[in-house]
Amino acid sequence: MAVAEATKGGQKDAATRFLWPALAIPGTAWLLALFVLPFYGIMAVAFSSQLDILGQPIPAWNPLEWDFAVMRGVIDQSINGSYRSAWEHTFIYAAIAMALCVLIGYPVAYYVARLARGNRGLLLALILAPWWINYLTRMLSWVGILGDEGYANDIIGFFGFAKVDWLGGQWYVVVIALVYGYLPFFIVPLYAYLDRIDQHLIEASRDLGANTFRTFFRVTLPQSRIGLITAMVITALPMFGDYYTNTLVSNSPTTVMIGNSIEGTIQSGFSRGQGASLVLLLSAVLLFFMAYYLILTLRASREAR
Amino acid sequence: MPFDPSSTDRAPQWRPQLRRRDVLRGGAFAAAGLGVAPLLAACGGDDDGGTPAGGDGAYPLARPDAPVTLPIFDDNQPIAAGQEPEKVDALRVLNYADYMAPGVKKDFQKKYGAEVQVTPYNNYDEMLTKISAPGAEFDVVFPGPSVMSRMVYGKLLQPFQQSYLTNLTNAWPEYQDPWYDQGSQYSVPYTVYTTGVGYRSDIVTDPSEGYQMLWNPDYAGKMGILDDAGEALGMAMLAWDITRDINTGDPEAINAAKEELNKLIPLGVKVDITQYETLANGKFHVHQAWSGDLVAARWYLAQGVTTEDLGYWIPEDKADVVIGNDNICIPKSSPSPVLAHAFINDLLDNTIAEKNFNWNGYQPPLTKLDADYLIEGGYISENLMSAVVVPEDFESGIKFYEQTPAVENMYLAAFQDFQSGGS
Repeated sequence: MAVAEATKGGQKDAATRFLWPALAIPGTAWLLALFVLPFYGIMAVAFSSQLDILGQPIPAWNPLEWDFAVMRGVIDQSINGSYRSAWEHTFIYAAIAMALCVLIGYPVAYYVARLARGNRGLLLALILAPWWINYLTRMLSWVGILGDEGYANDIIGFFGFAKVDWLGGQWYVVVIALVYGYLPFFIVPLYAYLDRIDQHLIEASRDLGANTFRTFFRVTLPQSRIGLITAMVITALPMFGDYYTNTLVSNSPTTVMIGNSIEGTIQSGFSRGQGASLVLLLSAVLLFFMAYYLILTLRASREAR
Repeated sequence: MPFDPSSTDRAPQWRPQLRRRDVLRGGAFAAAGLGVAPLLAACGGDDDGGTPAGGDGAYPLARPDAPVTLPIFDDNQPIAAGQEPEKVDALRVLNYADYMAPGVKKDFQKKYGAEVQVTPYNNYDEMLTKISAPGAEFDVVFPGPSVMSRMVYGKLLQPFQQSYLTNLTNAWPEYQDPWYDQGSQYSVPYTVYTTGVGYRSDIVTDPSEGYQMLWNPDYAGKMGILDDAGEALGMAMLAWDITRDINTGDPEAINAAKEELNKLIPLGVKVDITQYETLANGKFHVHQAWSGDLVAARWYLAQGVTTEDLGYWIPEDKADVVIGNDNICIPKSSPSPVLAHAFINDLLDNTIAEKNFNWNGYQPPLTKLDADYLIEGGYISENLMSAVVVPEDFESGIKFYEQTPAVENMYLAAFQDFQSGGS
């Protein structure tokens, strides 16, 4: 209303000059209050040099007072110390989980986007169905399935095999749980990209004599590359920081991931500085991936133009 | 210069902040501090008590032979006597999970209209983190002697108005004036317990292995330790004869204990404190445990399992047993301190305490509820007699003491290394 009147009054320039920035205010405020400020708080804790009577770091809000001894120690421990195995587990589990996501998720997304036709709505609903259920509940169901007296052991017991201690700190159980938890996040964005591929390109490829496989590898896959990478980024970021999946299905030092290390240090007052430093390190690692992703998409959109 | 924490008129000499470098330098620093403590105690004769042992003097370190009277600060006085309990919807309790009978909480709600809401923690370190979080408000908290000084000097607790705590006379005499809080100004006792090894006697063949049961590969994947730096590292020290001093500030001893814990990692060790449930339901066959856990386990038994299948091992010689107690205190942040006093007084009531014990399995140190009474009452089955604590056990047993921040952090850091996958 107000906008329309302002335009009528011939003050279009003034209106747009204030309107567009005004629209950005809620988002900016949100980002400032819930991202920039907390992140600065994390830095203040990570770079603090003062401890209170309980041995907890007193945040150093003044950057001039920053002390990097703890950060240096954490980097040291990450390269060759107590955090090393956590980092290794994180990268390895996330990589395997990601590969499984691609192997399972790509065909599903492809089928729904290109071959499902009439059932597409139903299939999409089924893929999204897990989102209607709380993540925690979905993970707890694995505890029921894989518990000592759970269904998995019942089934292998029926065939005469010995019980498996699934939840006793098995790395593959952590990977399976991660894949299960994040697979929908992988399929949906990929589906959106696959759905958008111009059918004519594929038809052209077939017309020019390429067989199904050749068409897929020469046309569909390159066309969906950005979708694939987007899906991988969307699932990889939370996987790197995930700790509760691991806690529920393993909770053992044998499978500890960096998220678990961070949780442990943050819950323990004395090492909050280390936890904050780990958060900064993890953010730096993820930022590296994010930057790579942004460059790729930027290049792709430029090519498209 | 030493200060006398018992004099309240003089500002105690402690530095409010200690530099992180001091803590990082912990090793030598702490060793020196701890070296001094027994020395001072050995010198003896200082009846004014409470010589601050330890390196940095941020707070006095209480020991049975060096009791401490905690100061009452000008800006942290007891509440006035003779007030009516606040009419509020909730009493906020910071406590271990499953450490208070639901029936006791319900009775309290019926009586005062306030629902007892529990925020759980796994160990004191977590408790301190939660209680000191900015804006955190709790009415009741359950710390042990090993954190009392820190919490009082950090002004996290408020002194009692003793006139509300008429039931304190029910407690064992030694807990009406304990060494870590002379005059019970900030704390009353909640429970007493020993730390040992809980096991399934239907599966474990040789419980005489003691602590080393946990390192026995036969129980790999079915074994766990307490999520508590002091308890876990202390047990490793005792299990492998590293030292009998589970409060040691010697970095080498702490490191050696960590190395022993690291050996549990390939055996699939779990780190938690729900052994009362997980031993009973068969998830674990061996778990480091507090005595109360085995008594409480009868409420969690899986089908076909009876209390006869549970076992609790502690060293035969009472002098080798790790023994401790938890207290009840009122945080300074309490919005309903009068109600909190009423709640604490209830927990010291013989009938209510018995009801609470019946459920949580942890013995309240009340004179009426002595070992004979509890055994006759059928609370503890014959095979779990080792879980019973008597006052005399405290004279000889091994206890956890309050540490300097430097030593404390060495333990926490070592435990964290272990939990991060060992190094």
